[in-house]
Amino acid sequence: MLDAIDKNLLKAVAGLDGIPKGAFNIRKNGKLLSRAVSENINIEPNEDGTGIVVTVKPGVINESVHIPVILNQAGLHDVVYNTFIIGEGADVTIVAGCGIHCSGSRPEGHEGIHEFRVGKNATIRYQEKHVATGEGKGKRSLNPTTKVYLDENAVVEMELTQIGGVDEAKRVNEAELGPGSSLFVTERILTEGHQIAISENNIILKGHHSKTNLVSRSVIKENSKQDFYANVEARAKSFGHIECDAIIMGNGMNETVPALRALHPDAELTHEASIGKIANDQLIKLMSLGLTYDEAVDRIIRGFLK
Amino acid sequence: MLELKDIYFTVPDEEAGNGLIQKTILDGISFTFEKGKFYGITGPNGGGKTTLAKTIMGINKNTRGQIIYNGQDITDMTITERARQGIAYGFQQSARFKGVTFRDLLSIAAGTDDEGKLMDILARVGFCSLDFLDKPVDSKLSGGEIKKIELATTIARNPGLAIYDEPDTGIDLWTIDPMVRLIKRQITENGTTTIVVSHNKAFLAAADCLLLIKKGQIAYTGDLEGAMPLLSDLSVCGYANLCEGDIDARCYR
Repeated sequence: MLDAIDKNLLKAVAGLDGIPKGAFNIRKNGKLLSRAVSENINIEPNEDGTGIVVTVKPGVINESVHIPVILNQAGLHDVVYNTFIIGEGADVTIVAGCGIHCSGSRPEGHEGIHEFRVGKNATIRYQEKHVATGEGKGKRSLNPTTKVYLDENAVVEMELTQIGGVDEAKRVNEAELGPGSSLFVTERILTEGHQIAISENNIILKGHHSKTNLVSRSVIKENSKQDFYANVEARAKSFGHIECDAIIMGNGMNETVPALRALHPDAELTHEASIGKIANDQLIKLMSLGLTYDEAVDRIIRGFLK
Repeated sequence: MLELKDIYFTVPDEEAGNGLIQKTILDGISFTFEKGKFYGITGPNGGGKTTLAKTIMGINKNTRGQIIYNGQDITDMTITERARQGIAYGFQQSARFKGVTFRDLLSIAAGTDDEGKLMDILARVGFCSLDFLDKPVDSKLSGGEIKKIELATTIARNPGLAIYDEPDTGIDLWTIDPMVRLIKRQITENGTTTIVVSHNKAFLAAADCLLLIKKGQIAYTGDLEGAMPLLSDLSVCGYANLCEGDIDARCYR
């Protein structure tokens, strides 16, 4: 059964108002809470019982899978290994995410290790949201790892979002791109208080005409800290771009390290990186349209993380 | 409707380096702008035109003097308060955002996100393409596009006083005349008092009154004809005391 806190968390991480339609797997406090499979999408435990295997049949289009994880048990550190096998030509949306509610003083955490094997000509949109709520002082940590293998002409769009609440996050994204495949990653992170978030991205452009665009938007408030590392390595005629922007508010600290490695003469790799306060001309423009200073800051940050 | 009383603006002189020596940018400017009139502000580069415009908007705080708008002393008001009193500002260098669209800015400016009302404003400004509305106002926009957005957001305020700082920067020659007509239409239809800072003859010819600002002071007020001898001097770098001789790298005109 879902209680009120569970429902709030589910809504926040997966946009769900209750039990979703179609295939889903809801994990609560390290155990299966509820699961449904569909004709085209199967979900079953993996061999060693440490997670699930989601299999999407070839050619399935316009279907979605929800696999949220919720935690509200003090002292629990949940680790899960999930594998996604996407059949040739499929086109699906996968909504993952983790919601932690912490009402006590003991730490709670989740590590989701997700591996995607995306078949030829298949497309997936992967959304992962991290939310932490509750008044408790217990440390909330989330350490997600995603490994993505793209077969020929596969397309993967990943949206990774964490807006406040999480004390410690260490994210690792790894990807290997086959010929003609594309990977688009957008990461949005807001930290506040004494939160720490680290994001490490290693993308290898293996196949000819593969391409990637990695966008990171960070807002670092109060005394929080965020580090962003992005490595794009091109081993074929390919295209890669990294765009990372960090807005610092208060005493936030940031380290941004984009790295490009071309191991093929026809590789085209570019990056843009910026760290700084909210630009003054943006604030003045919005205030000249009648917003107060605080409203202007809010609009700029909301747009930036949108 | 807008009265500037003995406005001074000074900043620490960076060249002096010790912060004690003040540099005067606006040097005792007094002028009264009348409702529904079109004013052109021109003058040499570095003369104080933009500083004056920004001082009226509250972006610069005048060091001395008083600003009266519609009978109210706005000298100590913030940018936000002045905007809410009906003053709008079109920037020379428009701000570029990440993740903020033209629709966002226009909605803030107009105080509504009603699609129909936004369309009315677009029609008023002469935008034909509606796709434009959801374009991000970022560094990918061309100079001309961003100036049109600047113009649209200013007009969308329905201001009592509109200030445009060099609205023709980055605009192609063929767009200037329609822009002048658009600004004039706001004056005739809404009685918007308008101040345009410009070097462009198209704006200066359209103005009811010109103010020539030189070395932080008003050097001339009146029509374009009367200003011509002074302005043609500008084009050959005739500001002898400003240029300090014939060869001065700071003077490009």
